[in-house]
Amino acid sequence: MDMLGFLIGGLFGAALFLGGLAEPDKIIGTLRLKDFHAMRTIAVFVLVGMLGTWFLDMAGVANFSVKPAAILAVSIGGALLGIGFGLTGYCPGTGLACAAAGRIDALITVLGMFLGALVFILIYPSIVVHVDAVANRGKVTLPEVTGISKAVWVWGMVAAGALVLILTSGKLQKTKSA
Amino acid sequence: MNDLVIKKPPLPWWAAGLMLGLIQILAVGLNGPLGVSTQFVVADARIITQMAPEYAQNHPLISQEKYQKFGYGWWLDIGLIAGAFAAAVLSWRWRLRLTTIWWQTNRGKSIGRRLITGFIGGFLILLGARFAHGCTSGNFASGWAQLSLSVVPFTITMFVFGVITAFVVYPKAANFEK
Repeated sequence: MDMLGFLIGGLFGAALFLGGLAEPDKIIGTLRLKDFHAMRTIAVFVLVGMLGTWFLDMAGVANFSVKPAAILAVSIGGALLGIGFGLTGYCPGTGLACAAAGRIDALITVLGMFLGALVFILIYPSIVVHVDAVANRGKVTLPEVTGISKAVWVWGMVAAGALVLILTSGKLQKTKSA
Repeated sequence: MNDLVIKKPPLPWWAAGLMLGLIQILAVGLNGPLGVSTQFVVADARIITQMAPEYAQNHPLISQEKYQKFGYGWWLDIGLIAGAFAAAVLSWRWRLRLTTIWWQTNRGKSIGRRLITGFIGGFLILLGARFAHGCTSGNFASGWAQLSLSVVPFTITMFVFGVITAFVVYPKAANFEK
């Protein structure tokens, strides 16, 4: 058993639940652009993680695992995941968390995920490898591709995230019943 | 259906986002960025290896060591389930549920259709996540933390398709606690 993984996962699962991301009604509220609690949580999550990772990187202690920028495969994957996300209000992590919190519909979604993984394995040699090769830029980062420094990217994204928080700040009001 | 109101999550958005961001920093400092969806392939790969060892050995993906062993990432997912369960129980919010408030507001009481939609959604979520080399955790949150190029097409397609799908499936706004 990998104790470190278990502990980090435990904290992650608890935070997803307590923060309302492992809550399909809050996710759908955000995707419906009605209830911005989840969007604001995600914005802070991403920005804090980005700043911290940058500081760790400067201290030389960050462990990176950059995903390959296979533009076509990533775009198709994002679209499929987005459709599933909009249908259910779940993603892989929050689906597991919601199933653990007693949601039977999340458990069914998790079963669908196992089938999705199986089909991925089955079509990997014949389809996925070819799609993955199209417009594949490799494991590159935005600072590398653009030649703009990490500092500019990080602070630029912090500004963009702050804008999201400002724009959504007045929209947490309760919607009227129809 | 107007008596259905979505409860506020235990934590405010800023506290939840901060907590999740700090967990991401912890993960990057100690092992590597957060990710969830790979382990669905690992679970399926282990089963395939039992049932069709020859197929698994010759498979370009699941023959890789990463997909054959239960390591850090596996235990992170187990921890996630345990952490979400503990948080739900301790916050007095563990409850058996079959559907969501957004679903009931728009699609009525049909549990069967919610579950079928959930299964199809789960299938698309995991298939998409693996096409994209990561899900909302490993590609989106960790992608922004590392400023990877792949996060840009992923973010765009996931949110565009997520928002469109949510508007189509859930046209009528649900009520939520401010």
